[in-house]
Amino acid sequence: MKVLLVEDNPKVSQFVRKGLTEAGHVVDHVDNGRDGLFLASSESYDAVILDRMLPGGVDGLGIIEALRKTGNRTPILILSALSDVDERIRGLKAGGDDYLTKPFAFGELEARLHALVRRGQSGDAPQTSLRVGDLHMDLLSRRVTRSGQVIQLKPREYKLLEYLMRHANQVVTRTMLLENVWDYHFDPQTNVIDVHISNLRQKIDAGFDRPLLHTVRGAGYRLSADD
Amino acid sequence: MIKLLRSTSLRLALGYAILFVVSSVLLLGLVWWNTTGYLDRETDAVITADIRAIGDRLRDFGLPGAIQTVNERVIADVDRKAIYLLTDPFLKPLAGNVDAWPGKIGRTPGWYEIDLVYQNRLHATRFLHVVLPGNFQLLVGRDVQDRVAMRALFLRSLAWAVLVAVAFAILSGLLLRRTVLRRIETINRTANAIVQGDLGRRMPLRDANDEFDHLARTINAMLDQIQQLIEGVRNVSNAIAHDLRTPLTELRARLEGLLRTRAHDEKMLDELGEAIGDIDRLIGIFNALLRLAEVDAGLRRAGFTKVDVAALAQDIAELYGPTAEAKDIALSIDLAPDLQVDGDPFLLAQAVGNLVDNAVKYTPSGGRIALSANATDQGIVIAVADSGPGIAESERDQVTKRFYRGDASRGSSGAGLGLSLVEAVVRLHGGRLALSDNQPGLRASMVLPKTAAASG
Repeated sequence: MKVLLVEDNPKVSQFVRKGLTEAGHVVDHVDNGRDGLFLASSESYDAVILDRMLPGGVDGLGIIEALRKTGNRTPILILSALSDVDERIRGLKAGGDDYLTKPFAFGELEARLHALVRRGQSGDAPQTSLRVGDLHMDLLSRRVTRSGQVIQLKPREYKLLEYLMRHANQVVTRTMLLENVWDYHFDPQTNVIDVHISNLRQKIDAGFDRPLLHTVRGAGYRLSADD
Repeated sequence: MIKLLRSTSLRLALGYAILFVVSSVLLLGLVWWNTTGYLDRETDAVITADIRAIGDRLRDFGLPGAIQTVNERVIADVDRKAIYLLTDPFLKPLAGNVDAWPGKIGRTPGWYEIDLVYQNRLHATRFLHVVLPGNFQLLVGRDVQDRVAMRALFLRSLAWAVLVAVAFAILSGLLLRRTVLRRIETINRTANAIVQGDLGRRMPLRDANDEFDHLARTINAMLDQIQQLIEGVRNVSNAIAHDLRTPLTELRARLEGLLRTRAHDEKMLDELGEAIGDIDRLIGIFNALLRLAEVDAGLRRAGFTKVDVAALAQDIAELYGPTAEAKDIALSIDLAPDLQVDGDPFLLAQAVGNLVDNAVKYTPSGGRIALSANATDQGIVIAVADSGPGIAESERDQVTKRFYRGDASRGSSGAGLGLSLVEAVVRLHGGRLALSDNQPGLRASMVLPKTAAASG
């Protein structure tokens, strides 16, 4: 995919550029707000990675607001040194799609970027069902089946599975799950998410030859039909 | 009422009132002594002189001499202010200007002050009754009606003086409250705001250059110093956390890169995954430390909204439920409905989460954890009680300190920041964290003020 990176810190931008290029993406990089706004509004990108505080007269929030006003709906991931929940809310309210606090792991950035781009591509058409391999989720009746067998899920397990299915074939980090499935923005110390995942795995994978829910070392989880 | 009595202004006003009353009484007493008292002494001297004169006559010239003297004195008394009566031993009048011995005066000699009717009028009269040789009874009196009127006037003046003094005292008390005490209250309010975490506040100055301005300036200078010190300490710990976080993240990225090279040594890949997990824990500790600094600084007050405590606790129980279950620990909840506090929902969730996390960590398999929330007189209490080893009483004050880890926690993971954060969050909300014995186990209670009863 084609990504615009607007970041004035050379270390961070080099780190992100290198990682994304190695992963096979095309990265345009500018180090100030004015050029960022110009490129974002004139070129077509799959996603924009935007530092919250920028030189050049236009800061991150200013760019987002300007883009959204002109109807540009490119997914935007905000990077910020400000970890405050209030700051996060302000960034998302301005029209940002996700918020990542510096310093961050590259895996976290990549996973979130994929999630954003996927969300952008799925369009506005409301889906009524999700399918990953032989796992099927009916969003209207809230019925989950695998190979025709009904799987009974608790409400939170259902929400967890729905999130994983909406991001099928992508790496989903524990932080992303905690934020999107539980709406918590803190580190719960113990790996409580792992236990929820292992319970869910019990229900959807036990008794089937091909497991769907994979653990990705050092990153998180991936729901996928192919290994 | 009790609060009113505690008010300095009222106490001062009362003190003033008492002072005014006492000084008025003293002053009027002195005037009394020098005027009315003087007249009294004068009257007594005249009466005594009369008596002596009549007694002398009786001694020198016998009864007729005494009778003559009495009659002379009656005639000489043109103002009709004097009363004379000389009787025989059986109180039968011999001379004088009253017809009969007054009933109110007995047989005992001495001073009397009675109301007496003569010349068809009631007069306050002061008498001296003496028994002369031969058992003759002599009564000499003076009309003191004027003096009685004067005394009444004095008493009225005194009453007015007291009234004016009290009114003046109340007025000055109110005035004191409006001026002096209002400034003390301003200082008090500002100090309270600072205690609540608004360290940037300063005592207002009024350019009066009076004692209050001096006090305010001294306090402000002190606050400047405290703020510098706190910021210094905070900057150091934040800088450490921040500066270490960045190289750790870079290290993590390097390891991630190695993971992606798809080397086919499974064992090495596993090790790399483990190493990344270790780094994540380290970064987590620094994040917790920075979060703690943020909470300690009281900066998050802006994010306060009404928080449904029961729903919050329910969600946390749901988050940790499977973890407890996996350890064969029974996690039960007992939540009263309609519990609301003013607070930051994210921080409160994290605090309750930390308590449950600790309980799950330290309770052995087969144990119990009870999460409860209810309203008490002291406020809303969110309690996590476990059947683990508990915390010795001597250690309870220590456990909320940063990086402190109890004996029982050795060998388990955790940075020792959990309870510090809970304590900081509770303090930010104007509440307190109470640790007690659950017999066996630990009972940790977050006591939070109810909605609208903000801690001020």
